[in-house]
Amino acid sequence: MSLYQLQQCVYNYLRTLEAVEAGSPVPTLSTSGYELNEEEQRALKTGDVGAMYAMGIHPVIINGYCRAMGYRRADYRELLENKNTEPKRKTRWQTS
Amino acid sequence: MADIVMAYGASHAPMMTADPESAPDAQAENFFGALETVREKAAAAGVQAVVMMSGEHFSNFFYDNLPQIVIGLGEGHVGPREKWLKVPEVLVPGEPGLASHLLAETIAAGFQPALSHKMVADHGFMTVYYKLDPQMRLPMVPIVMNCTQPPLMTLRHAYDFGAAVGDAIRSYPGLERVALCAAGGLSHFVGEPRVGDIDEEFDRWFLKQLESDAPPELLDMPNDELMEAGNGTGEVRSWVALAGAMRGHAAKALVYEPIYEWINGMGVVTYDPDPVGAPA
Repeated sequence: MSLYQLQQCVYNYLRTLEAVEAGSPVPTLSTSGYELNEEEQRALKTGDVGAMYAMGIHPVIINGYCRAMGYRRADYRELLENKNTEPKRKTRWQTS
Repeated sequence: MADIVMAYGASHAPMMTADPESAPDAQAENFFGALETVREKAAAAGVQAVVMMSGEHFSNFFYDNLPQIVIGLGEGHVGPREKWLKVPEVLVPGEPGLASHLLAETIAAGFQPALSHKMVADHGFMTVYYKLDPQMRLPMVPIVMNCTQPPLMTLRHAYDFGAAVGDAIRSYPGLERVALCAAGGLSHFVGEPRVGDIDEEFDRWFLKQLESDAPPELLDMPNDELMEAGNGTGEVRSWVALAGAMRGHAAKALVYEPIYEWINGMGVVTYDPDPVGAPA
């Protein structure tokens, strides 16, 4: 429905997690109060990172979300590997 | 008037403090060794404050208000935002006099930086700052650049802004010895299918461009071409701004290590505090 709302929901959730003290229960993501369609709500509630990426959530927010969910470094790559990427083009720094 | 007695760029991968042991020993030693060289030189030079330029990571701003450039005017800056960074949370002292001067002078030079009295210092600042001053008492002026959400500043725009920052530091009467630091880059990919990749060819080329006084070949590169080196690589805008501030000074890459365990090309470049041709 709204990419802004979608991203704000995840962003606010990440901010909420920052305030959680060590050892305290981790809150679940709530979509209440955000204007999201069914598919967006499903993606967020189930933590479907591939869908979040496909919907246009900024990669920096995706990265923060994956880190908060316990992924480290690049180990969430497998969640995104089936997503299309732009074909690489020749750049000025390439020698081959 | 202030002199820029230390000028350097350094990568700011969160893993360099959150999980430094994950890197191969030799690579980590080379990178941290270069940062230690910087720390020793800064201490020997008696640096009184550091101006740090880093990219935004949705740490201070979101889509409701996302400026291209922000200068932190606060008396202090809480950091780091990330608890897992393994850097103690502190109130980093600010340097409001210098910050206000930078704001006024860069606006006078034709730029429109925003201002903030309540800046949070995220990993972009704190990883590098912690290595510069492990006691975290050195006053800092943070400058946040939007390297995240297009439309983004061109590299030439970043260079010109940096030139204005350098001129402003050198016209500040309140301090004598200031460090200027660019934190971010080098190549990295986050939150997308290529997460974990490093464009080593770009990194080595980029460092050579800096050592060649940032020629038009670098400054006129379109933003979409730069993006080919990684969606996080745009953070090199701060390095290019540093090059603008230090135009006429020789740059030297102290180290480059592609550390895949930190998902980042890790480099350090320093600038000679004396201009090229100055008497030794």
